[in-house]
Amino acid sequence: MKASWKLFGGLSVFYVLMTVIYWQVGGEEVGIAGMLLSACLAGMVGFYVWFTQKRIGVTLPEDNLTAEIADGAGELGFYSPHSWWPLPVALSACVFALGLIIGWWLSLIGLGALVISIIGMVTEYEKPEIASAH
Amino acid sequence: MTTYAEKPTMTASGAVPTPKGKSIVKWMTSTDHKTIGYLYLITSFAWFLIGGILAIALRAELARPGMQFLSNEQYNQIFTMHGTIMLLMFATPLFVGFANVIMPLQIGAADVAFPRLNMLSYWLYLFGSLMAFGGFLSPGGAASFGWTVYAPLSNAQYSPGIGSDLWLVGLAISGVGTILGGVNFITTIFTMRAPGMTMFRMSIFSWNVLLTAILVLLAFPPLAAALLGLEADRLYGTHLFDPANGGVMLFQHLFWFFGHPEVYILALPFFGIVTEILPVFSRKPIFGYLGLIAATIAIAALSVSVWAHHMFASGQVLLPFFSFMTFLIGVPTGVKFFNWIGTMWRGHVTFETPMLWVMGFLVTFLFGGITGIILASPPLDFAVSASYFVVAHFHYVLFGTVVFAMFGGFYFWWPKFTGRMLNETLGKIHFWTLFFGFHLTFLIQHWLGIKGFPRRYADYLPTDGFTFMNTVSTIGSFLLALSMIPFAINIWITRKAPMVGVDDPWGYGSSLEWATSCPPPRHNFLSMPRISSERPAFDLHHPHIKTEGHE
Amino acid sequence: MSRRTVLSRLKALLLLAPLVFLTGCSQVSGLGFEEGVTSVNDQSLSLWQGAWIAGGVVGVFTLILILWPAVFHRGKKDDPSFPKQTQYNVPVEVAYTIIPFIIVAVLFYYTAQKQTVITEKTTTYAHEITVEGIQWSWQFGYPEAGPKAVVTGTPEQTPTLVVPLGERVRYTLTANDVVHGFWIPAFMIQMQNLPGVTNHLEFTANKLGEFPGRCNILCGRNHSQMLFKVKVVTPAEFDAYLETLKGGQA
Repeated sequence: MKASWKLFGGLSVFYVLMTVIYWQVGGEEVGIAGMLLSACLAGMVGFYVWFTQKRIGVTLPEDNLTAEIADGAGELGFYSPHSWWPLPVALSACVFALGLIIGWWLSLIGLGALVISIIGMVTEYEKPEIASAH
Repeated sequence: MTTYAEKPTMTASGAVPTPKGKSIVKWMTSTDHKTIGYLYLITSFAWFLIGGILAIALRAELARPGMQFLSNEQYNQIFTMHGTIMLLMFATPLFVGFANVIMPLQIGAADVAFPRLNMLSYWLYLFGSLMAFGGFLSPGGAASFGWTVYAPLSNAQYSPGIGSDLWLVGLAISGVGTILGGVNFITTIFTMRAPGMTMFRMSIFSWNVLLTAILVLLAFPPLAAALLGLEADRLYGTHLFDPANGGVMLFQHLFWFFGHPEVYILALPFFGIVTEILPVFSRKPIFGYLGLIAATIAIAALSVSVWAHHMFASGQVLLPFFSFMTFLIGVPTGVKFFNWIGTMWRGHVTFETPMLWVMGFLVTFLFGGITGIILASPPLDFAVSASYFVVAHFHYVLFGTVVFAMFGGFYFWWPKFTGRMLNETLGKIHFWTLFFGFHLTFLIQHWLGIKGFPRRYADYLPTDGFTFMNTVSTIGSFLLALSMIPFAINIWITRKAPMVGVDDPWGYGSSLEWATSCPPPRHNFLSMPRISSERPAFDLHHPHIKTEGHE
Repeated sequence: MSRRTVLSRLKALLLLAPLVFLTGCSQVSGLGFEEGVTSVNDQSLSLWQGAWIAGGVVGVFTLILILWPAVFHRGKKDDPSFPKQTQYNVPVEVAYTIIPFIIVAVLFYYTAQKQTVITEKTTTYAHEITVEGIQWSWQFGYPEAGPKAVVTGTPEQTPTLVVPLGERVRYTLTANDVVHGFWIPAFMIQMQNLPGVTNHLEFTANKLGEFPGRCNILCGRNHSQMLFKVKVVTPAEFDAYLETLKGGQA
């Protein structure tokens, strides 16, 4: 993780530097805003990775130069085997977007469908074991 | 590897046959990064062919002076969609496709961090692209303001018609998909590497995927802002890009703040593919691994500060700052060349088809990079900007990188995807036809631009002196189009070729994907070798050759 | 493929490239542009030539380096031997980082110098000409001949921009609808006409004759027909031209 936060941190510092230089040589607002926001995004990610690493404390197996594959043994996590939900989320987003052109009524329908499908996707695996159909 | 019981759908001896309906459902509900990656590769290749057909239409019209079969408006729609398709529906999703299939394998992960989000990104890409293309079916036709969408040409007054709105909205949707993909890739690389797969043992392709994903996060939001802001102007009467409010320069800055990192988003993953192929067919490790990563990080950093070199001719940007940064970014790009050469140097070089494609890339991108250095100088840019010189330059760098590396990647990883090899002879025919077709089309366009032919012109006068060069270029483009045929034949005739049956049919693969079966099982690895260098598969298959570490 | 076939194919390829450029033999030394046409050419042409020479040297050198292992470090596919597994060479890597940096530093030095001259705005220009881009032609105005001294073109009847020889002119670029591009290829110069923005460009034309001009920023349907002609005339002829314009002909 160390390399990871250093990467983002380094980029963030560089973008701040560029923002200041650009501002000082007479740059314009869009570029200043763009580079500054880029610095903020990179900084945010870097900061998160940094304090996560700090909280973890130990060297993770993937950062251990002498790790064995067995160090990563055990449950890796839950991987959804297959899912229908991404499709309705995408379709709803498109209906919403098309509604911008065709009419706000369509966007409203799309928004409703989007909310429902996002909830559906997020809670897909929150079912009690007995009722699980998939 | 997971606790979720999974019925294996692929065995080492090939796919279990299923009825067609079940296959379609399997693909539509897939959460397997490999399947999603194949969807991306197939869809983006289809867009490549469609964009290519549009290009043939343009070249056919330009071969002789006079408008033979297209109107001015149709011509404008066609080059707008050609550019949009090639950049945003072919090349960018192609990166997502290769990254999806290959990166998790190379880092020893069982899948990406967010498998369903991965599929969501694909659908957003597919539907967004179809919406944008759908403009062709509208009464006013597709968007016709060029893929660069400059305001005020792209506003409701100068580009009325739903085709333009569909374009803007479709790309915004597709862009969301790309951003989500970037999030997925960064998270995967940060959190799902196998034990021992430290950042500085990760393959260069995966490193490039990481840096490209970072650029995606930085570049696509400004694009979305520009597109949605423009759409607000068009639909709701806002004045974001009103010339009276400085909207003209505002749009150019926003667009190119996206547009420049976008070309590195297009270049870096394919540099990564080339970097994967070279060591295998030189039987040596990549030369200067750390330097190569440093150069790529430098490119990612600098690419955020060079955008206005696309705006030198506007008379409204800081020439010294941007020309300096642009010259600077040429240095790490040049450094990479020497890394690639150093990999081949004193190696045991063999020329199976993937390596031919790499050579094609090296030669083509070299020339494109040099014309880029020319354009980085404002006085020289003033002479040839917005002419066919620029068209030639960007086709050399983009086609030279994306298409050559794509085909190299296809031939290289085909056994990993499908378990079968593509035919070498047809591969060589494919390469040489494409290589000659490409250079015949685009080399002469440099001269055309120098002689004064602007880009995006539908026509020219017989007295202009552009006829011969345009005719040559058109002939080249037809040859280029024909070169797709050997590839199609190749895919068809090898569909029932014998399975390779081994993990690494090429023999000298370095990265981890060559340490699992062809094709891999559902969650990629049934067993994994110890990772103690950046060449885990090579160390596994050739334990007597020592690879030095980097830390 | 045998080494001989590879070499002969390489030779064929290397011959292709320059053939393309020989189509303009007389301009080979200027690589497409002519000396002395305007004050801009005086600055840019030497940089153009120098940059191409530098690019050519770097390109040929790198091309040889790329093709060298392809020809001389080839091995047989069935041969199971391994070459030395070199992974890095710090002095070489440092060298190939520093040398390109020096090359671009030199290019930047000349770039900065010349662009300062080309983009210079003076108060000592001899004439002002306004250039307004409109969909889909040009409107050239000569303020010193009065407000009616305006020439407007159409796609069918493209306008002529009349310019005096040897006298510095300030061009004021505007657009009343969309972005257009004011480009005169032979003069190695262009600048955008931006709605809501006034751009200024100054240079001196130093060669008599007629030169094509074209809009090079996509501006809609008849972008390809937005042509104009630049006619460089003697100062006396220019003054005579201004006189005719004072009568207010369009």
